[in-house]
Amino acid sequence: MQIAWHALSGPGVWWTGAERVEIAQETRAARACALCATRKAALSPHTVAGTHDAATGLSEPAIEAVHRIVSDPGRLSEAWYRRTTSAGLQDEAYVELLSVVAITTAVDTFDRARGAAPRALPAVLPGEPTRRRPAGAKPGLGWMPMLAPEDVTSDDPPLYSAAGRIGGNVHRALSLVPEAMMLFWDMFEAMYLPQDAMRDFGREYRAIGHAQIEMLAARVAVRNQCVY
Amino acid sequence: MPHESELLAFADAAIDPAASPERARTALLACLGEEGTTDAAAVIAGFDAITRVADGSGIPLEPPKAAATADWRASLGIDAYWSMKI
Repeated sequence: MQIAWHALSGPGVWWTGAERVEIAQETRAARACALCATRKAALSPHTVAGTHDAATGLSEPAIEAVHRIVSDPGRLSEAWYRRTTSAGLQDEAYVELLSVVAITTAVDTFDRARGAAPRALPAVLPGEPTRRRPAGAKPGLGWMPMLAPEDVTSDDPPLYSAAGRIGGNVHRALSLVPEAMMLFWDMFEAMYLPQDAMRDFGREYRAIGHAQIEMLAARVAVRNQCVY
Repeated sequence: MPHESELLAFADAAIDPAASPERARTALLACLGEEGTTDAAAVIAGFDAITRVADGSGIPLEPPKAAATADWRASLGIDAYWSMKI
């Protein structure tokens, strides 16, 4: 978790370190946004117009993306995604933004659950984004192009090389930015279970058992209205 | 399930920014101790994140999973989730 948190401070593939830290800061601001709260309570989030309580100078589509992913992830839609990205947020930048929101969410929820104060945002590191898109990424699975294991080339980071990362749809979700996918999954598997351990029911790897782990996972998915 | 109610209360409180997880954490600490409570916090936090990755990318269930879970999803009300309707 510490590795992922501090990696937010440096340049990514499509955002600078300063912008990535702003995305983390905006993630925190979204939890107290009045517009997000009103939309969350509405029968449909699309019926409520307004302006987000933004904390950063990120672009409007970036702020909209961060706030909706944070506050109402179960009611995101492809139509919303197309509107938001067509307003000035390319697919690759959205995917990296999604990974930063996810890492910030994981770190903040963990600290909150443990009774710790939110940790300080990491100090920004200089540098420019590499802006490299995997050549084999193809549309068709989700809302944006994704990189299937069979389309990975020697020029791509080894995003499916870790044991058990077999290229299920959830592994592919961030694959348009392989570095973002790897950073998120390295953190996630440390918090949950490595993929092989997940299916090894003959041994317990944590102080809570497989059944307790899966019950917690299911509860959070229900609360967040996540079908996957 | 051992400590089911304490674990579920902890999950609910941990992911709700408007709630205080203090009482639920204290109850779980009494059951599981520090290590178990920390592991529970990590799982909850990890899934608070990965649900956003899944729902923020539009990935569908894999067809075999969708077929295998059709009855459960219907009976548990999962098919009524917003993302299943659009």
